Amino acid sequence: MKWPEPVSRTRRLSRTSLSEKAAQRLTIALLLTPAILVILLLFMGGLITGFLRSLGYFPLIGLNDFNFAAYTTIFTDNGFIRSFILTFHIAFTSTLIASILAVASAMLLRPAFRGKRFVQFIFSLNLTIPHLVGAVGVLYLFSGSGLVSRLATGAGLIDSPAGFPAMVNDPWAIGIIIQYVWKEIPFIGVIVLAILLSVGEDYESVARSLGANRWQAFRNVTLPLIMPGVVSASVIVFAFTFGAFEIPWLLGSTFPKALPVLAFESYTDVDLAARPQAMAMAMVIAVMSSLMILAYMKVSRRYVRS
Amino acid sequence: MTQVTLSGLTKIFDEKSPPAVDQLNLEIESGKLTALLGPSGCGKTTTMKMIAGLLRPTSGDITFNGESILSIPPEDRGAVMVFQNYLLFPYMTIAENIGFGLKMRKVDRKEIRTRVTDMLDLVQLPGFEDRKPRQLSGGQQQRIALARALIVQPNVLLLDEPLSNLDAHLRDEMRELIRRIQTEMAITTVFVTHDQEEAVVLADRIALLFDGRLQQFDVPDAFFESPQSVEIAKFFGGTNFIPGHYEGGEITTAIGRFRAPRSAVDGGDAVLSIRPEAVTLGSDGGNSVMGRIRSHVYVGRYARFRVALGDIEVEAITDPAQVKLFNDGDEVPVRFDSNKIWVIGPASSQP
Ligand SMILES: Nc1ncnc2c1ncn2[C@@H]1O[C@H](COP(=O)(O)OP(=O)(O)OP(=O)(O)O)[C@@H](O)[C@H]1O
Ligand SMILES: [Mg+2]
Repeated sequence: MKWPEPVSRTRRLSRTSLSEKAAQRLTIALLLTPAILVILLLFMGGLITGFLRSLGYFPLIGLNDFNFAAYTTIFTDNGFIRSFILTFHIAFTSTLIASILAVASAMLLRPAFRGKRFVQFIFSLNLTIPHLVGAVGVLYLFSGSGLVSRLATGAGLIDSPAGFPAMVNDPWAIGIIIQYVWKEIPFIGVIVLAILLSVGEDYESVARSLGANRWQAFRNVTLPLIMPGVVSASVIVFAFTFGAFEIPWLLGSTFPKALPVLAFESYTDVDLAARPQAMAMAMVIAVMSSLMILAYMKVSRRYVRS
Repeated sequence: MTQVTLSGLTKIFDEKSPPAVDQLNLEIESGKLTALLGPSGCGKTTTMKMIAGLLRPTSGDITFNGESILSIPPEDRGAVMVFQNYLLFPYMTIAENIGFGLKMRKVDRKEIRTRVTDMLDLVQLPGFEDRKPRQLSGGQQQRIALARALIVQPNVLLLDEPLSNLDAHLRDEMRELIRRIQTEMAITTVFVTHDQEEAVVLADRIALLFDGRLQQFDVPDAFFESPQSVEIAKFFGGTNFIPGHYEGGEITTAIGRFRAPRSAVDGGDAVLSIRPEAVTLGSDGGNSVMGRIRSHVYVGRYARFRVALGDIEVEAITDPAQVKLFNDGDEVPVRFDSNKIWVIGPASSQP
């Protein structure tokens, strides 16, 4: 290919760099293709298949029509609605409590003190412990025959272990929330601590010097500075706790069940006709997770601005 | 009007290194501008943070008008510090930044708005209310940081190198501004700088700090005319130091004997110091010796000569016209005006 005679040096330079840029972009796109393909196949493929099946399209078992029957069924089912509310309550409450406690722990862990490294190690230790182990711990500690219940009986706080408030398999999902909070505090906390340490204390010093008391400095300066980190971390936690199966399955009540448990049980039901309903529930989980995340981000952003 | 007194103020960050601030005694006069001057790392910022209540002293006391304020939290001290790196709150607008102190005091919103506008006029950035800090240049941010401090009408204003990021022209303007506001509002002001010229131009008094220790606390001209040590003289641009023996108003050195009525010591081993501007070439008479011109530089506003007097070399700063009178290698009489000689105690450490 032959370029026309350059009018000026700069013009030629910019042309060259333009074509170079295009080439660079193409290279990047090509390099990313395998990764994108995997994501598309796994994620989008799964989502599309799931969506089609939720519409009743499942040729393998002879279902060839599209319809909204599954959706109509679940949305008119009182159990589903209750499950949905319960799942939202679990995700929202765990995320909120974990975020607050994580920020508080990060603030406590920020200043230099003797033995800080050890405390920090302990703090982040349960990042490595599987959720399942945490669930067993909750059972061991908080179930009706658990350690806390027996200690409370021993101390005379309650008459018998039977008098211990239900915290496992209970309608308020207290056991589930305890487990999630326990597990997610260090996750959010480590992120917040990293931000706190990198931002430093000078902004708060400025605020104090200008007349803010401790709380005002925290509320008006520290919090807005760490809020983007808190939001990103808690969005992940929210999405996870909304869609996770194992903990509600182990620690949840028999009615209502958390959505992922309900979906899983419908899916593994001997009645294959329940499968579209399972898929419809999975779609609802996906959509709701996305919506919640969007709403949550919007609210948090407004909070940051004010 | 607040008089600030530091007594035996000490800050030790960690036991293994020397104190960042060491036994500092200072009387900061009410309503005056005091400069805290010293090289990087000498403890200027640390001292300011202790006065502001942002750092707890290891030992010693700070009083405002005679009352110890160590137990008073920073927000109640009435001492506002403007940081070296301005630290405007990044997520707030300029108006919110400036109004911050008033908002913390729960001042009415309308009043905040008008006072913010006044402040922006004062620092010559009108109309900047709705911008974000990152949209401002370093110099503009520095001025906003100043406005944010002034708006709360502090009793004590602590400025940590507030002019370091301004160009020469703006720096002069801001110096004037700070000086004007400071005098008008009669705010007791401590001003940190590592630039001796800035300290001299701005301050009523200068406290010179090396390695956390106070070297000299004096009016600006004293640092030129009667520095208490060779190091101090060097920090203020002194270059000529000739060791000798001082007795009876005369100092005897390797290159001769000079009359020197002004001195920091009574007698004994001492150092003759004379500023390069006070060395005159080509005139003999009392207090002069013969020297040979080694080299010279023409700077425009002045000329700088290096002259060998025996084994010793001195620097002379002269009228630029003198470059036409002397050539390198010429023998010339070199005179030290006896009133400009200042005799200092023997140098503690020769670099
Ligand atoms: N938080 C801290 N922890 C440990 N050492 C510190 C701390 N802050 C300051 N120092 C040390 O104390 C000494 C004085 O520091 P300071 O910031 O007061 O210097 P400065 O005079 O303001 O210097 P500059 O002109 O560079 O700003 C330095 O040696 C510094 O390393
Ligand atoms: Mg400093």
